[in-house]
Amino acid sequence: MLKSVWTSWRPVFTVAEMTLRQTVMDSFIIFTVLVQPLLIAVMALWMLRDKGSDIAVFVVVGSGMTGLWSSLLFVCGNSINVERWSGTLETLVGLPTPLEVIVFGKNLANVFQSLVSMVASYMLAAFLFGYPLHLAQPLLFGVSLVLTVLAFISFGLIVAPIFVMNPSVQQWQNAMEFPVYILSGFLFPIALLPGWTTPLSYLLPPYWAARALHATSSGGGSLQEVLFAWGMLLLFSLIDLLIASRLFKLMLVKARIDATLNME
Amino acid sequence: MQKLSVNLRLFWQGTLLSYIALFAWLRPVAYAASKIVMPLAQILFFTFLGTYATGRGNASFYIIGNSVQIAAVSGIYGVTMSIGGDRWNGTLPYLFGTPANRLVMFIGRAFIHVIDGMLGVIIGFVWGVLLLGLDLSHTNLPALGLTILVTTFSTSGLGLLMGCLSLITLNVMFINNAVYFALLILSGANIPVDTLPGWLRLLSQGLPLTRGIAAARALIAGASLSDVAPLLLGELVIGLVYVLLGYRMFRWFEHQAKQRGSLETV
Repeated sequence: MLKSVWTSWRPVFTVAEMTLRQTVMDSFIIFTVLVQPLLIAVMALWMLRDKGSDIAVFVVVGSGMTGLWSSLLFVCGNSINVERWSGTLETLVGLPTPLEVIVFGKNLANVFQSLVSMVASYMLAAFLFGYPLHLAQPLLFGVSLVLTVLAFISFGLIVAPIFVMNPSVQQWQNAMEFPVYILSGFLFPIALLPGWTTPLSYLLPPYWAARALHATSSGGGSLQEVLFAWGMLLLFSLIDLLIASRLFKLMLVKARIDATLNME
Repeated sequence: MQKLSVNLRLFWQGTLLSYIALFAWLRPVAYAASKIVMPLAQILFFTFLGTYATGRGNASFYIIGNSVQIAAVSGIYGVTMSIGGDRWNGTLPYLFGTPANRLVMFIGRAFIHVIDGMLGVIIGFVWGVLLLGLDLSHTNLPALGLTILVTTFSTSGLGLLMGCLSLITLNVMFINNAVYFALLILSGANIPVDTLPGWLRLLSQGLPLTRGIAAARALIAGASLSDVAPLLLGELVIGLVYVLLGYRMFRWFEHQAKQRGSLETV
């Protein structure tokens, strides 16, 4: 049983390991997953310092989530294009392992790497700013984190083929970073936003991830609320995986028909 | 007279061609995304974060700070890419092979980015007025325009210096991104400069934008041009210092590259 599980997941873990080895010293990725979230954490801790020490864990989680989203947008979003630029996409498509499994492994590495930003923000808040930090519900927080990783990987599986098939959408990549920080309530409650934006927040998996992580880290939410956020994360992960499966098929069929697998 | 005319032509052609080359790949949609939507999103994010921290009454502090800080998009990224583009596109050896006036050539790389940066700041203010209720009724608009010009110039001065770094390092985008975010923290765009620790306050005074943002806030609160003249003069001097530092580095790089035969090294 264990062997069969390992065999089916082995390509995912192998790709994740290879991706981590390739990207661990990449300066763009270091900036995206480490430096930028840290700078945002410094700014937010400074700006929100009058709100008391309870805000520190909220900022740590929120700034870490900015790193997760930026990584999803810029790194996972380009996970297919990167192979195209380095001339390895044709080989990957020709493998018996489905391309979406390979991209899943790449996204797993990228999202895992992004979690470093949360750890770094935690250390910054604890050591540089001297805030007493503790997780209100560590077990529930851990589960929320696992579901967040799954939701981000699944969302990344949609973004990558969309960017490949629609270069005009990718031109909006830079403009998509801050809107999701805003709509997902990473660093301030979405109640501050106009009411008409709330349904948009509900459609974003990062919003449910932020709700679950903020509620379990600061203890501000009931168990029912946390369970509901988990349910939404699972639902979105499932929907995203189904959509991604269709998108990958569509992308590969289109690339084969147009003979554009190695072209922009 | 003929020398002046040649230098003016060189300045204009260099300015125009480097800008066209940089944005040759850019479609109107991508321009709109980076010049209209991205600044709006950044202004909204920091304004909401700021009002969450200090209350809705302080929204204008963050709107003005972040609108002026948009100058760094063109001033830092645009100018750096214009200077670095010559290295990546292989045109640097040809440039260094010409007898053209280096200062004219160097400053020409930033000229249109100053105009483009001003447009970005104006777009930021328009968003502030239309969406966030920024009140400009007490503002001396020509003086605000001058403030935007001087601030964009000084930020582009820093961009020229950063651009020279792109001639000697492969990781200039990492440095650019870090400088861009550092400006968000240290320029007073989001955190009042007088609340920073002493050494950061000192650093802040050596950066572009700090005085420009303070001048813009004062003008929007009803100050006159003469009230903010010392701030603007300081901002101008900071910009000139960065331009001169950048130019010295540019000449040093040319000298080193020619001596070591590393002109075409990428």
